[in-house]
Amino acid sequence: MLAMALALATTGGGYLLVLAVIVPVIGMLLSLVVGGRHAERIAFALMPAGLGLALAIAIEVWVTGQPLVYILGGWPPPLGIALRADGFSAVMLVTAALVIAAAGYFARGGFATPPGVAEKRAPLAFWTLLQGLWAALAVVFLGGDLFNLYVALELLTFAAVPLVCLDGRPETLAAALRYLLFALFGSVLYLLGAALLYGTYGTLDIVLLADRTAAEPLVAPAVGFAAGLMTAGLLAKTALFPLHLWLPPAHANAPPPASAVLSALVVKASFFLIVRLWFDVMPGLASAAVTTLLAALGAAAILFGSVLALRQARLKLLIAYSTVAQIGYLFLMFPLAIGGHPWSAEAWSGGVMQTLSHAFAKAAMFLAAGVVYEQLGHDRIAELRGIGRAMPMAIFAFGLGGLSLMGLPPSGGFAAKWLLMQASVESGQWAWAVVMLVGGLLAGGYVYRVVAPALDRATVALKAPASRRREAVALALALGAVLLGFAPPEFFDLLQIGRPVAMAALR
Amino acid sequence: MSGTGTLGTALLVATLAVPLALLLACLSRRLRNNMPALLVLAPLPGLAAALLALGGMPLAFDQPQLGISLALDVPGALLLGVAALLWSVTGAYAFTDLRGKTNAARFSVCWLLTLTGSLGVFIVADLLGFYLFFALASLPAYGLIVHDDDDPAARRAGGVYMAFTVLSEAFLLLGFVLLAAGESHGSLQIRDVVAALPQSPWRDAALVFTVAGFALKIGTVPAHGWMPLTYAAAPIPAASVLSGAGVKAGVIGLIRFLPFDTAMPGAGEMLVVLGFFSAFYGVAIGITQANPKTVLAYSSVSQMGVIAAVLGMGLAAGDHSVALDTAFYAATHVLAKGALFLAVGVTAVTAARRLRPTLLLAAVLALGLGGLPLTGGALAKLAVKAPLGDGVVGLLANLSAVATTLLMLHFLQCLARTAAHEQQAPAGLAVPWQAMALASVAVPWLLYPFAGGNVADALALAALFDALWPVLIGAALALALRRWQNRLPPIPAGDIVEPAERAFSASYAVGSAMERADGWLRQWPAAGLSLLAIAVVLGAATLFGS
Repeated sequence: MLAMALALATTGGGYLLVLAVIVPVIGMLLSLVVGGRHAERIAFALMPAGLGLALAIAIEVWVTGQPLVYILGGWPPPLGIALRADGFSAVMLVTAALVIAAAGYFARGGFATPPGVAEKRAPLAFWTLLQGLWAALAVVFLGGDLFNLYVALELLTFAAVPLVCLDGRPETLAAALRYLLFALFGSVLYLLGAALLYGTYGTLDIVLLADRTAAEPLVAPAVGFAAGLMTAGLLAKTALFPLHLWLPPAHANAPPPASAVLSALVVKASFFLIVRLWFDVMPGLASAAVTTLLAALGAAAILFGSVLALRQARLKLLIAYSTVAQIGYLFLMFPLAIGGHPWSAEAWSGGVMQTLSHAFAKAAMFLAAGVVYEQLGHDRIAELRGIGRAMPMAIFAFGLGGLSLMGLPPSGGFAAKWLLMQASVESGQWAWAVVMLVGGLLAGGYVYRVVAPALDRATVALKAPASRRREAVALALALGAVLLGFAPPEFFDLLQIGRPVAMAALR
Repeated sequence: MSGTGTLGTALLVATLAVPLALLLACLSRRLRNNMPALLVLAPLPGLAAALLALGGMPLAFDQPQLGISLALDVPGALLLGVAALLWSVTGAYAFTDLRGKTNAARFSVCWLLTLTGSLGVFIVADLLGFYLFFALASLPAYGLIVHDDDDPAARRAGGVYMAFTVLSEAFLLLGFVLLAAGESHGSLQIRDVVAALPQSPWRDAALVFTVAGFALKIGTVPAHGWMPLTYAAAPIPAASVLSGAGVKAGVIGLIRFLPFDTAMPGAGEMLVVLGFFSAFYGVAIGITQANPKTVLAYSSVSQMGVIAAVLGMGLAAGDHSVALDTAFYAATHVLAKGALFLAVGVTAVTAARRLRPTLLLAAVLALGLGGLPLTGGALAKLAVKAPLGDGVVGLLANLSAVATTLLMLHFLQCLARTAAHEQQAPAGLAVPWQAMALASVAVPWLLYPFAGGNVADALALAALFDALWPVLIGAALALALRRWQNRLPPIPAGDIVEPAERAFSASYAVGSAMERADGWLRQWPAAGLSLLAIAVVLGAATLFGS
């Protein structure tokens, strides 16, 4: 009960959580109000602040060894609303701040308001939406209330969808509509589920719900269906196979910085909520049937996504299908990390590590593909021979990102795969380890398809001069994925803070 | 800690740090373009560390905070020393060979990466570090093999090489995960996980996957197809270091990870069978080949088979001494095979009438692989005599020496045919070749005492006779082969690679079926149904599952 009491009161440093949400919200609103070329300036002014706040939260969580909590207005749930940050939220916040800053820096110039013009639609929309997306992510990672999280998810969807069709080409509009429609289906299911939960327990606060579901010996039918509806809704937004119809066109047609953010962060947000749901809200209901089903879909995603990536003719579609595959890995964590087994902690770390390293690697690859597209005027894989010499840093970034996707050391992808495979062997669930290996081999194939011809010595006709700055941004993100492979043990301790089972042991 | 201890630690670190520093220097365009001249220096700290370790100083560097753990024992030092020597001398060869070539800078970068991995595997003491250096010794070598991008054979060889390499990495990853899972204290030191292996609940699976990973690297049949393609396509210096030093990453892997302290007759015997099958298979296909580089590659398949067989005997008997014996055997192979590839390069730019000294020297090295008395090969055969024993296995070993002699005489014949018309090899190529050839004659004698051998035994009359008769029989068979050479069936280099490629192409059908399925699943009705089905099934699973 002590832990619960702690989770329902503001802790020291809790105000940081409020700031982390408010800063991007202010940025978004201010950009809308003052408009024009100021939107970009506001975004750049606030990005360091947001990153600093995220880091401060991570340090605070790490130092205190406890999740941070802030109770809004001093009204404890179920009356009031809580913001909470555990180890997973903290690292996701930092990752989001870094990837958004990188995407923003990459977009500079591409989405600049031309001199002499007071305001242009695309730049204003881009910078405002980017900040809106960032605010939504912050709420998703910190929100402690399922309705709040619903609002955040909607904000996220409404910020993400227009980013897909910023340039207004017909195919991007079609892709955005597809995305919007399917995401709305997902929202409806989630909302239905949340209503069922509220009807049963009279609260939507995560900590209170966890307490109440744990107290009941039998699962009420409404709760079972709530779990199914909410999870299915979130899976639709995560684009887990076979619910990925919208992802390849949306991610492949968006402008590169938007693709990077969508693939690296936006799909992770709904995944994050699925983790919250099954690990925090109703860990007792996560039966072997549920976790196996989720992981089986994940395994199918890995195989289908990777094979489809191998067969794409366009670079950005290849990367998008690779995202379909990499999302699959995330779901292997469910049967492995649920419960208090000796291997659960490593599986949890592995799943989080996969989330982080894929965020960096995939953002780097989409930005690298953006550089390629910008300079060649196309991204047909068959015509990429010799581009390594024209844009060495971009190809290097793509290769390093690929290294992480393949799960080769040194990279975060390797650390993630190592931990997840270790857990699957120790728990006797061999099949997942085999799927991960096959996925790694297929990833090797699709990375090779791009990198090998790129390194050839051939002359290429460039349409635009190389932008070393943009290449450097992609490379920096890729190096982030590599650096994760060198994470010290203390980093993994941070990831464990607030992990439900770890907390249960404290009680 | 004494002064030499500090020096030893510094040299261990420098073994990796110096090539990495040179890699960093490659960030500068000017330095990158001049890098070929520095390749000769990169492996020298490794050579010094090996000499120090052979001098009786056990070297170690342990930094758990950084996740690095290095150690050098005698088997590691034997291999590190000769590998560093080969990398250095061949680096000098490469400097001349690369002059005026277009991809020199890229070649240097790949060279340094591969070198770091190739030397790193001999000195690393922890599991994850080994995996890292093993990958580094394998993957960047692609850039060494596909040096000439316009050569379709090189591109094909590079693709095949990558496929085998990535497969080997995958097997090793699973093997290592199983090894680590079997160690209950959470240690990732190689010696701890191997010590815990015999009691591990995952013993058999761990062994199978780890050995499979290394078998792919050393080209044990049926995982040998990449070797002939790769060595034939790669430029001479690349083929030399990959066949000499690179492949030994797999050998040191087997030496380090097989649990010799516990007798495992079943696993050991399987390795023996596999090894000898490779040993004879390599020769059987090798004699049908005409390209001297391909012949050398098949000889590697055969020689690595012998090493696998010796290790298998040690595993079956629980005899730890085979680690040192095979390390010595492999060390002589590093020198001889590396030098012979340089001979191929020098011959190609030497006029036929000036060829005699080169051919003579090459003949000594080539027949040395078959165990010609007084050569390093004879010492190597002597070193592995005890673990192989006098029975059937010992006889098979002698027959494999006969077969190797036959193959090597065939190689010399093929080599002589490749001579140039009117040319003299530039000193920048000839001198490294001669240096390497001399080293491969002399260095085994210097190293033999460190491998527990006695030079006097090697000079005893009985030992000389034991070494001589397989060579004589092999020579007689070579005469017969010469007569019936044209009756041998033509077999493409890489023999089973072509059918494997066809099978691989056939698998594209699976891909297109999956593509059709994906197209169907991404239709609105299918996706909507999936969504509802998932919601219902998940709900039911929640209700009835718990």
